[in-house]
Amino acid sequence: MEKGGVEHEITELRLGLPGRDVTEKMMKKRGFTEMIMTSSGSNSDESGVVSGGDVEKINESPTAKSQVVGWPPVCSYRRKNNCKEAWTTKVGLGYVKVSMDGVPYLRKMDLGSSQGYDDLAFALDKLFGVRGIGVALKDGDNCKYVTIYEDKDGDWMLAGDVPWGMFIESCKRLRIMKRSDATGFGLQPRGVDE
Amino acid sequence: MNYFPDEVIEHVFDFVTSHKDRHSISLVCKSWFKIERYSRQNVFIGNCYAINPERLLRRFPCFKSLTLKGKPHFADFNLVPHGWGGFVQPWIEALARSRVGLEELRLKRMVVTDESLELLSRSFVNFKSLVLVSCEGFSTDGLASIASNCRHLQDLDLQENEIDDHRGQWLSCFPETYTSLVTLNFACLEGETNLVALERLVARSPNLRSLKLNRAVPLDALARLMACAPQIVDLGVGSYEDEQDSESCLKLQAAIRKCTSLRSLSGFLEAAPHCLSAFHPVCHNLTSLNLSYAAEIHGSHLIKLIEHCKKLQRLWILDSIGDKGLEVVASTCKELQELRVFPTDLQGGGNTAVTEDGLVAISAGCPKLHSILYFCQQMTNAALITVAKNCPNFIRFRLCILEPHKPDHVTSQPLDEGFGAIVQACKNLKRLSVSGLLTDQVFLYIGMYATELEMLSIAFAGDTDKGMLYVLNGCKKMRKLEIRDSPFGDAALLADVNKYETMRSLWMSSCEVTLGGCKRLARKAPWLNVEIINENDNNRMEENGYEGRQKVDKLYLYRTVVGTRVDAPPFVWIL
Repeated sequence: MEKGGVEHEITELRLGLPGRDVTEKMMKKRGFTEMIMTSSGSNSDESGVVSGGDVEKINESPTAKSQVVGWPPVCSYRRKNNCKEAWTTKVGLGYVKVSMDGVPYLRKMDLGSSQGYDDLAFALDKLFGVRGIGVALKDGDNCKYVTIYEDKDGDWMLAGDVPWGMFIESCKRLRIMKRSDATGFGLQPRGVDE
Repeated sequence: MNYFPDEVIEHVFDFVTSHKDRHSISLVCKSWFKIERYSRQNVFIGNCYAINPERLLRRFPCFKSLTLKGKPHFADFNLVPHGWGGFVQPWIEALARSRVGLEELRLKRMVVTDESLELLSRSFVNFKSLVLVSCEGFSTDGLASIASNCRHLQDLDLQENEIDDHRGQWLSCFPETYTSLVTLNFACLEGETNLVALERLVARSPNLRSLKLNRAVPLDALARLMACAPQIVDLGVGSYEDEQDSESCLKLQAAIRKCTSLRSLSGFLEAAPHCLSAFHPVCHNLTSLNLSYAAEIHGSHLIKLIEHCKKLQRLWILDSIGDKGLEVVASTCKELQELRVFPTDLQGGGNTAVTEDGLVAISAGCPKLHSILYFCQQMTNAALITVAKNCPNFIRFRLCILEPHKPDHVTSQPLDEGFGAIVQACKNLKRLSVSGLLTDQVFLYIGMYATELEMLSIAFAGDTDKGMLYVLNGCKKMRKLEIRDSPFGDAALLADVNKYETMRSLWMSSCEVTLGGCKRLARKAPWLNVEIINENDNNRMEENGYEGRQKVDKLYLYRTVVGTRVDAPPFVWIL
């Protein structure tokens, strides 16, 4: 079925160590950021760009790095399902995960579709088919549930304290807890800026 | 041996199962070639375009199991455009027309349609096993055909495929009389699952050994499934939101404790941080653990779990485990053979948790380690040299430093010496992926020492054509060479055209090869398919004098005995 290995002549190994120093080599490579700028839908009929002194540039602009197609070599299935890349995209769109004590499913909701805390309260009620979550956001001490959220720094904060705009920018996920469980949970005290 | 009747020789051949060995047997003499042909049960085709179904059937008329691979490896990273090829349909059609009693089909990186699955399900009475890895093009309707029509199905194993989920009732298409299920893996399905149908299926499958659920199977359903199938050996948990629902939790814990045969655990596709402790009772028996999709589980919880897993042989994990976590692995998992550490943050943000220290710790603590895939932010030559000394038994060594061209972070030198140490110490190395700042020197070492190397992946490395030439000249057993963004050009490509006949394929993208060079290669080597992939309309194949300067974006060449393929899309030029 397949041809067996064909013995072929070994072409002469051209030995000789590349004797140049590191910085010179770096300069002769296509600068990484240069390459990114030309890479998407790359026009390879242009001759390779040679950039000089791009050593510093390589550490610049982390956002540019993510534009190189297929790098790092993580397969697309894994990217979609897992990595922070997928995660941050979702957050960027306003999607956050919402969990509620006693409910074995996670829900996802789009924060961007709510206009304010009242709206959010209503949306949460609908999401879990429960009445009274909404109240928890504002009224604090009177109700069964509190709504807390995890912010960009990983701290858990009580929802409703900061201005709405600030809230949707920093909220990574929501959790609806029973008030009784919330004490001693380690919420950040009110008034703490992230 | 010529004095023995054929049946005796055939009986002896039955004990020879590896493809390489069977190939060797077939070369001994005409008689053995003939006997081997007719008795071959399992056929492996590494490149579906190297041969066609008609020739396959002529050579092996009696096979039962077929493995086919389609797209090149870099297709995993979106480097091969949609529609490139790898269609299974013509294969299934040809096999269906013939009298082959197909029982097993294993496909990787191929395009599979619902039509193909329907035809497959109707054409082979004894069909038992379908394994699809990284395939695309089909929906749950195709799965419904398989479920409905394959009376003797044992394995339905779907790994990392792109499946159009119609949220249909494919699980309920398994007839009530169907009880032969052994493996069911549908973790990659995105949509909702008919839990009732699933539970009934599991309940009537006494031979079920491997069950991998998708994210739509919640905690309470998991508990019921495990209670129905305590004999399970390999479990993929779907959704795992353990939010203090005590009753579900207790039921699950009780069910887990009964699964004394459990050896392999994976999944946790949606997982709350505090949930792993329910599995601690079964950890001491686990040989395989894949937590690489459980992004939400904090390193500390991973570590607590792993501390119980003393028999672990295979571990796939995220870098959130950290160097500290890897030290725990090194001191706990003395039987470890394969480790994969995947990145959580693809942008290489400052927080990545594994460095060269974790790798060194593993190499020092795990004497049986032979395969590693490691994503990290930084590396040093010293660390790699230590790893090489600790672990001379590597068969697969894949290191990916997230930032291209990154040097040794302590000395600022290229990582040539480190990788050189690896290839020099690891005499059985079959697969290698290199990264970081690398000059031609590393390829000199690879060509000199990596005598058993079969697959090499190069990205952002090397200085001149010499680098690629060292590899082509030195690595006699090279089968697959894939290169991206490296300064290798026509001189390297054309130096030894006959080399490519001994290899399965060569991939070069964003390198320095030109259209003129590729054309010359195609002329010299008619036994190769030389494919140029051009997604840009600007890149017209111009019949002018500029071919010598027109760089080729993506080149994929492979040996074939059946000439140019007929199913290539317009953006693929076959020279």
